[in-house]
Amino acid sequence: MNTHIFKWIPILLILVFFGCKKNDNTRYDVLDTTSYGDNLNKDKSKSNIEFHSILTTNLFQKPSSINELTRTDRVIQSCGDKTLINEVIISNYMNSPTVKLPSRQRMVDSTEKFIEETYIRFFIRRPTEAEKTWFINFINSNKSNPNFRPEIVYTSFAASDEYMFY
Amino acid sequence: MKRRDFVKKTATITAGGIVLPYILPSGRLYAQSNAPMADHVVYVLFAGGLRQQDSILQRYLADSQGFNVEGNILTNILEGQAPTSKIAYGTGVNGASPIPKLLSQTIQKQGTIFSEMRAVSGGHYGGLNSLITGSGVAGQGLKVRPVNPTIFEYARRFGGYKATDTWFIGNGIGNSTPLLNSSKHPDFGLQYGANFFAPNITFGSDGMAVLSNAKIYHPQEELDPMYKMKNFLDNSFNIKKGDLPGIKNTDDERTRIKEFIKATFERQAAGQLPMPPVSGGDGSTIGYAAEVLRVFKPKLLVVNMSNIDGCHGNFTGYLQAMHRADHAMGFLWNYIQTQIPEMSGKTIMCFAPECGRNQKNNPIIDANDWYGYDHGDANSLRVFGGMVGPNVQSNLMVGSEANPIGRVTDFSLTIAQILGYKSEVQAAGLVEGASRSLFDRI
Repeated sequence: MNTHIFKWIPILLILVFFGCKKNDNTRYDVLDTTSYGDNLNKDKSKSNIEFHSILTTNLFQKPSSINELTRTDRVIQSCGDKTLINEVIISNYMNSPTVKLPSRQRMVDSTEKFIEETYIRFFIRRPTEAEKTWFINFINSNKSNPNFRPEIVYTSFAASDEYMFY
Repeated sequence: MKRRDFVKKTATITAGGIVLPYILPSGRLYAQSNAPMADHVVYVLFAGGLRQQDSILQRYLADSQGFNVEGNILTNILEGQAPTSKIAYGTGVNGASPIPKLLSQTIQKQGTIFSEMRAVSGGHYGGLNSLITGSGVAGQGLKVRPVNPTIFEYARRFGGYKATDTWFIGNGIGNSTPLLNSSKHPDFGLQYGANFFAPNITFGSDGMAVLSNAKIYHPQEELDPMYKMKNFLDNSFNIKKGDLPGIKNTDDERTRIKEFIKATFERQAAGQLPMPPVSGGDGSTIGYAAEVLRVFKPKLLVVNMSNIDGCHGNFTGYLQAMHRADHAMGFLWNYIQTQIPEMSGKTIMCFAPECGRNQKNNPIIDANDWYGYDHGDANSLRVFGGMVGPNVQSNLMVGSEANPIGRVTDFSLTIAQILGYKSEVQAAGLVEGASRSLFDRI
């Protein structure tokens, strides 16, 4: 019986030495980062209700009721130029005392940050360098216009073609 | 200058001189195929199924309910004595008070009536499609845009008009109505579509809640930068033509329409909108159409009425709606002539229903024990239509029961002829083969 046990010892030793593998600790220095899509894949049009549900949540930080959304949908259907009627509805929202907008000071003092946040907020993506440069120049060139406010920027984003798609 | 250079420059300038006059300020690239007959067209889609016997044949209850009472209840459109008994088509209690006639001279006296035309469909959607496109295509599903181009797209593409020059005023947003301002034809489509309002919603309680508190931004200090940013964003996104969610107005047109929406709510609150004396329903739709005409003076405006379709279950209501539709159309014509100097004497108004109604009644009776009528049989292809305005022969009746003349699809070529681009529409080859301009039918 003892002889039978010794027969198995070499096999066990082989398993112990060759069955284990040393950990490979190679590091590639890849950093975790939040990814945002580009606008190339946005080819599905939001329905009127989806559009305004997302927009009102965006502007008021709370969703609209289904009654309000249905009513808005009917009004959009009653007008031929959808972007135009959306602009009117957006300006109606902007007239509400509960709309939540960044301050003009923030837009002027931290323009680059403001632009990035606006793109992410509305388009769920970062601006390209060209887009960022254009907006920085545009906002800087309108600094002397006291009526140029975040509301104007937000309205142009909310009324844009890209915001109608996902 | 060398001789060769001289010849080259002379040839270039001469060619430019020939071509440039055809590129009009509006952007029109086509020479007009015929001289325009009028500057503006107003096209009234006269309700939702108008039975020939009860309207132009002036049989009142004689051909429908078995009473020997005849008479004309379209007193602004047609010549003829009103019924003298069983008066139920008016207003007030039991409809006993006919609406006083608005026009001093009937449309029949002022213009041309085609007394026995043929519709291409006995249903609403096919009928409206044929009126709007001039095409005889049947079998389109509901809630889709027409397959063939609409009269708006022809007007904008071949007439070079901008979006605010063409309007469709709908009676609501049911079925396919809001989709009739443009087709889905690949060579035309939304880029040539008309502006559209369904005023009972846009300016009704829904619109009041959603639109009336809108800001009017300063054109230079607010709107200008807003549009610049939006245009930059839109150019970056580069939306595909087939993905357009609606028609597109220019920045200036958008500003005008926004001001119009704001002003309309204000004028509505102040009771200043131009409504027919007896309003409500189709009358209200016509009133808002008059307001669009007053403000935009469009080249082509189409307005759709539909209350007459209540005939399915309420014959008395149908008679009342028909009488009111006549009143509303009379009001619209009178308003154009007396209140819009830029359009007075320069506008041709066309009108026709999308279909007629059945020969035989259905079993539904109303409060007067009168039977309702549906539409779909051969009798519902019998309709009448007409036109009035400059270059339209007055006091002319064309066709008869024994000699039908004209098809509802004729209005597409008729309007093209009035505005001066008939041959382009014909060359496009998308109107019904049998259709012709009504002027060519006379």
